Amino acid sequence: MKSLIYRQTLHTRFETELIDITPDVLQILAESGVQTGTLFVLSLHTTTGLTVNEGLPDLEADMANTLEKLVPDHAIYRHARYLPSDGQMAVNAPSHLRGMLLGFQTFFPIEAGEMLTGSRQTIYFVELDGPQSRNFIVQILGD
Amino acid sequence: MIDFHTHPVMIKELLEKDPTLEKNVHQVFGFHFPAQPLEIFRREMDAAGVEQAVLLPVDATTAHGCRIASNEQIAELVEVEPRFIGFASVDPCQPDAPRRLEVAVRELGLKGLKLDPSLQQFWLHDKQVAFPVFQACADLGIPVLLHCGLSWVPSGLAQYAQPLLLEQALMAFPRVNFVLAHFGWPWVNEAVMLAVKYRNVYLDTSILYSGTPRDTYRRVLAEQVGLEVIERSLADRVLFGTNYPRIDMRRSVRGLRELGLSPAALEAIGRGNARRLLGLETRK
Repeated sequence: MKSLIYRQTLHTRFETELIDITPDVLQILAESGVQTGTLFVLSLHTTTGLTVNEGLPDLEADMANTLEKLVPDHAIYRHARYLPSDGQMAVNAPSHLRGMLLGFQTFFPIEAGEMLTGSRQTIYFVELDGPQSRNFIVQILGD
Repeated sequence: MIDFHTHPVMIKELLEKDPTLEKNVHQVFGFHFPAQPLEIFRREMDAAGVEQAVLLPVDATTAHGCRIASNEQIAELVEVEPRFIGFASVDPCQPDAPRRLEVAVRELGLKGLKLDPSLQQFWLHDKQVAFPVFQACADLGIPVLLHCGLSWVPSGLAQYAQPLLLEQALMAFPRVNFVLAHFGWPWVNEAVMLAVKYRNVYLDTSILYSGTPRDTYRRVLAEQVGLEVIERSLADRVLFGTNYPRIDMRRSVRGLRELGLSPAALEAIGRGNARRLLGLETRK
């Protein structure tokens, strides 16, 4: 069994942004040549999310709006202080908590070289504290 | 909006070209988070609604043997991004400081001077060290932005950055406009006193000690200083500044907009005062 890891970089534009990374993931799978196995997608950050949903602009807006309602900007958070280990103000508690709701990973089985997804499933990398340079990993385990 | 207080030292392209700067940014300036591409700086400005940003270096040659960053590096950034407004820094403890400032302004096109007495370790009332540099600012017709108050730089000594230490210079150099960064926190009352009395004193809003910008603006500007005091006496002397990347621009802009200032004061603080101070006013 092979274990292949691909590192991808995104430059986001907005504070909250849902980015469809499905085409990138499918291209990586095609290049890997793996026919049978499992594909994992992981964000390397704590103020982003990875989620799977239907790829429609109205739903993207609903998801972003819902996250902002569930975790409001102006609640009182402990994570609103100077962080000496970073040398900057840590004032992005809502970004972390929204990321917690989404999670940071997803996976799909691979069969006959294809990723087994539902017809409406779209993989989103979700920026929650942008704009920033962001990284995600695709790991493919299989033959 | 114009962000009058940014430090362009976590730019990936800049640090990759200058490993010594990268070391000093970590060890002296105390930044320990990942650098971002220059394009992200631009996007952060776009996302925040910031049109232009003042870039501030610090020349700490005597105290720490380094410049964070050099005047030449600032000029290069301005060259590639016209939305940047570059300030110079010189080390007042070096005898050639006035001459170096003249070169930075006349040859590199930089628009003001940044000094950080807490990091550079000089006294603002020292007539042998500080005053020749202030005289050069008068001769060149440029403003000075001074770090004031709490220094988050690990080796920064706040004792050098007390606003009241500037009063003799304010009297001696009435044609030089001085920007007291961070509202002088925790010496906010001293900073406000100077700004109320002296027409050549400006205050920037990059107040960072605890809480979000919204919390801090409310606590310091609304509750401690008073919005009515700002509206009546300081609306033409406060400048929006963030201290980016010690804090993000988006939340700082939102915090200012949500403070409850009148539209006229918000416009002056967010843009108009900076344009006037930098000579960017369009003549009608």
